[in-house]
Amino acid sequence: MLKVVRSALADIGRGLRMRNVWMALAHEDIGDQHKRTTLGPVWLLINYLAYAGTFVVIFGDNRSVPHFAAYVATGLFVWLYLMEVLTQSVTLFTREESFIKGTTLPLTVYVMRMTMQSVIRAGYALVGCLAILLLVGTSVTVDWIWSGLALCLIVVATPAAILVLAVAGAFFPDLGFIVQNLMRIGMFLTPVFWTGPGHGIRGEFYRWNPFTYFLEIVRLPVINAEVPIAAFGICATIILLLWVLAALLLGGYRKKIVFAL
Amino acid sequence: MVSIRVESLSLAYRVRQKLTLAARDRRLPAGGRIEGHGRSRHVTALDGVSFSLDAGDRLGLVGANGSGKTTLLKVLYGIYEPTNGTVAIDGRVDALFNINLGFRPEATGRRNIELRGLINGWHPDEIRARMDNIIEFSELGDFIDLPFKSYSQGMAARLAFSIATSFEPEILLMDEWIGAGDPSFQEKARRRMNEMTEKAGIMVLASHNHALLEKTCNKILELQQARLKVFCGTEEWFGKVSPAAAAVQ
Repeated sequence: MLKVVRSALADIGRGLRMRNVWMALAHEDIGDQHKRTTLGPVWLLINYLAYAGTFVVIFGDNRSVPHFAAYVATGLFVWLYLMEVLTQSVTLFTREESFIKGTTLPLTVYVMRMTMQSVIRAGYALVGCLAILLLVGTSVTVDWIWSGLALCLIVVATPAAILVLAVAGAFFPDLGFIVQNLMRIGMFLTPVFWTGPGHGIRGEFYRWNPFTYFLEIVRLPVINAEVPIAAFGICATIILLLWVLAALLLGGYRKKIVFAL
Repeated sequence: MVSIRVESLSLAYRVRQKLTLAARDRRLPAGGRIEGHGRSRHVTALDGVSFSLDAGDRLGLVGANGSGKTTLLKVLYGIYEPTNGTVAIDGRVDALFNINLGFRPEATGRRNIELRGLINGWHPDEIRARMDNIIEFSELGDFIDLPFKSYSQGMAARLAFSIATSFEPEILLMDEWIGAGDPSFQEKARRRMNEMTEKAGIMVLASHNHALLEKTCNKILELQQARLKVFCGTEEWFGKVSPAAAAVQ
């Protein structure tokens, strides 16, 4: 067990020291994706605004949800980030196969490259989210700091989630489609545009869905000026467990992945 | 002192029945011996290989396709972890396996040099120091500031070669001799390769080109079905001296 953890920490340590590599590659990735377009990465902002705007316009007369526009803008922002990270991570090592089989770069480099890429993309969406919040007159309070802290927590969770799914996806390729479907359905089972806790089946989904709490820690300080201590606690526990699982998987499988691809 | 010590090296890996709902892929990775059945089926890619090399050694790896040459190189480089045995390496290892790996079509040649340098583990200062030399050797001129995708195949190969051979390795691993470009560049590339292998403390080259191995190497290691068949001097292997005479030498 100790050997496994030590092996994982060695990989993570080397990966973090090679931050020049993953930061450069992530920036290139973002640039490449929009190289031939006129607006470049601004499309990421437009994509978010179009998505959130459509929701607000179509479902905007939803009187059961106070501050609906702000509610959806923050909910969608977090949800789209989580959805992108989780669906993309399953195939991460398959996409990096030639590098894994041709270099001795630690696996953490690929994980951090993807984390960095997702954070940059989310940065553009965040601009759109803030724009909507200000447009609909959401008052800026000191509680927003808690939302900032919540976003940092989500970023901390990202490499762990990527690692777990990437290792699992290397050995179980069908996981990609399973996660894709779950995330599509998950958008409706998570309070992205409906409020909880409520009663019946919706209430159960609100309570038992871990994504709920990741949305609430970002959203509640902004909309209700309240600090959801319990949700923060649940998220911190989930992140801790995720990192333990990620370290065990990385330490145990990092030298076996090259044979599984 | 630069050295490689390999003792009873074995590498076996399970042929994983991937957990998948799709039709099973029954293809097996090329090379090695397939042993066992069902879930315990595994490939023995290297089996009890022992040898040692010291500074100045030029080892030629020979053997039929799938005998374990590339696997051995990848174990020495650290991509594969041995199942049994030990590999003790003293010295910085550099490898020329796939010199085209990771080039980005949208980035300029200059940016690709930076990125490849970072991937190779070079410090940004080292990259800056080598930049002019790489550009000059590649003979790309003003093309260096154009996107990589605008290069002809020969130009791309020249850039890849120039970056890959710009370092001074202590231990150099090569899967086939590399060359690039038109006849005049090929001659230049050949000279660069000779210089580089001369500078390297130890070189290990896997190749089917026996004439090249005879010219370049002082030792030969022949693999057969994942096992070491022969490890001896080049002259002995090529039958130019008898084993008895080689032993005296």
